[in-house]
Amino acid sequence: MTLKLHATAGEVMRAVGTLQQFAQALGAPEASIFGLALALEECGSNIVNHALQRDARQTFQVCIEHTGGSLVIELRDCGPAFDPTLAPARSPNVDPEAAPGGWGIQIVRRYTDEIHYAREGNENVLRLTKRLSLPAEEKKLINQPKPSTDP
Amino acid sequence: MSLSIQIQKSPDPRHAGVVTIKLIGSLDTETAPELDRQMVLCLTGPVNDLVFDLAELKFVSSAGLRLFQVARKQMVARGGGHASFLNMQPQVAEVFTIIQSLPGIGVFKDLEALDRYLATRPRPNLWPGAQK
Repeated sequence: MTLKLHATAGEVMRAVGTLQQFAQALGAPEASIFGLALALEECGSNIVNHALQRDARQTFQVCIEHTGGSLVIELRDCGPAFDPTLAPARSPNVDPEAAPGGWGIQIVRRYTDEIHYAREGNENVLRLTKRLSLPAEEKKLINQPKPSTDP
Repeated sequence: MSLSIQIQKSPDPRHAGVVTIKLIGSLDTETAPELDRQMVLCLTGPVNDLVFDLAELKFVSSAGLRLFQVARKQMVARGGGHASFLNMQPQVAEVFTIIQSLPGIGVFKDLEALDRYLATRPRPNLWPGAQK
């Protein structure tokens, strides 16, 4: 599923709502849905506020996929090259007004299993991957015949 | 997702200057600006203790956490004011833990615990800018 979004906070939350519905339909655990929604909110907000400077005429893209037991969120924007995976961890003692930012990437790291950044042409491409333990997959594993221990 | 903001001054004269902001829904990049506006209005009055009731806050991102930090800073700047959290739910508490943003902010599991704290705390009588 691919969404083309304008660079506004409302559009970021529209993507978050779509992600939540997508993950709920898969039967993903609530904790995973919460974390993924938060990760997408942080990355989308970063694109809107920094890469695209809240210019609502600009657009970015969010692609949500369930593949290989994982939920993958891919964000693409045409802002200046920026690799958020290189951002250092923020010190808790830093004044939030003096040095805004830095919390988002910590949150994204906590709630995803993999973060991959690439610059493709004039686009920033950020892929967030979360391995899911879905009820159907658990059932499938339980019902699988046990490997024989006979020689 | 939306955010409902309910601001209430304590009717208890023993808790004069205590203002509770109840947040219901999602505090995120879209809704944080409205809380920011309402906090600015709220802090034009005589507030000694700002209490955020998070019992029904389902989602909070760094946009919201930043506002909590700003609130804490503003309360401290008033000379003895405090910002506190009440009824924080586990998922929201985890986000606070990740960014380690709680130092200097009181966290109370329920209203009773907050009342005990307020009863024992010295009560500065502050108007904005009144104290240097």
